[in-house]
Amino acid sequence: MKELERLKKDWNKHQNFPELSKEEIYKFLHKKSSSIVKWIFIISLLEFGFWLLIALATKNNEAQQRFDTYNVDHIMIPLMVIGYVILIYFFVIFYKNYKEISNSDSTKSLMQKILNTRKTVKHYVIFNLVFLFVSSIVGAAIEFSNNPDLKLTILKFENTNDLYIFYAIVIGITLISIVVLSAILLGFYYLVYGILLKRLKQNYKELEAIEVE
Amino acid sequence: MKSTNENEFVTLVQKHQNLIHKICSLYTKSDAEHKDLFQEITIQLWKAYPKFRGDSKFSTWMYRVGLNTAITLYRKSKRRIQSQNIDDFSYKIPQTEAYDDTEDQQLQLIYEAIKELNDIEKALIFLYLENKNYKEISETIGISEVNARVKMNRVKKKLKKQLNP
Repeated sequence: MKELERLKKDWNKHQNFPELSKEEIYKFLHKKSSSIVKWIFIISLLEFGFWLLIALATKNNEAQQRFDTYNVDHIMIPLMVIGYVILIYFFVIFYKNYKEISNSDSTKSLMQKILNTRKTVKHYVIFNLVFLFVSSIVGAAIEFSNNPDLKLTILKFENTNDLYIFYAIVIGITLISIVVLSAILLGFYYLVYGILLKRLKQNYKELEAIEVE
Repeated sequence: MKSTNENEFVTLVQKHQNLIHKICSLYTKSDAEHKDLFQEITIQLWKAYPKFRGDSKFSTWMYRVGLNTAITLYRKSKRRIQSQNIDDFSYKIPQTEAYDDTEDQQLQLIYEAIKELNDIEKALIFLYLENKNYKEISETIGISEVNARVKMNRVKKKLKKQLNP
């Protein structure tokens, strides 16, 4: 392509950029970066914080206090330990991935590493949703077998032969709550990361396509 | 107070600043964006500077960080451009002036066509114009040498088609 060859020949001749002084360049060093890695890191920390807050917020509420009277520590403590161990595991992996991000890597490798940190947090959120689901079921089972008010309600429904309606309502409410919460979270991710990672994902796909072709 | 390290770094960036300008003018469409990207590339270079071991040329290392910033890390931030005080340095980006000679109209056209390519294609062409060989291009982008060559030929064809529809 002769036009491109000509452009290449004259490439540096025509580039008359005004020269920046040392002082001007020096000022840049102290400005804030707007890098997407910084934003992903901040948002990820907020996500970790969000789930931690949820765990702490539900710790001392009425239901929790009631649970304490049921003597179900053999179920609750392992569940809590598993939750925290997995949180630490995810955080370590996330931090390791984050530290590995280097802006002097090859373009493809840099993109891969950024996407990996994202993937870790995504897995963490999925784990939390599953954990929430399992905990809800375990919690409901404990309530059903220990809460005197609930026992009475079950008995009432049993007497009128409407027990299936009661269970249908309970399961329905649980499922709707989980679906609504998941939808809110997924909507949030779609919005935040959709905007933040759109260009990166497109470019990564482009690079992958080059390798496949 | 400026440290020796900062001084050394700023001197190197000032010496090779044209390279950053060239990336900025390819990847942005306005003066404000150009300035913003220039600043972000400088910040990213400074962040990576402790890892620069000097076993590669400073300019070679700049290509990587500069292109990575333009392609992957940089986020356009209108608010940031408006709020920061950047009036103290003003320059004209020769996006249209560079090749505005009537006899060089063809070159101006091809430069504009390159600016319309996608981010990865632009990077390939940029490195090609910078006289990098396929080994360097493949290492910078992170694809194989053969694939870099194949893709480059495709981009050239694409450009040709754009110029002679």
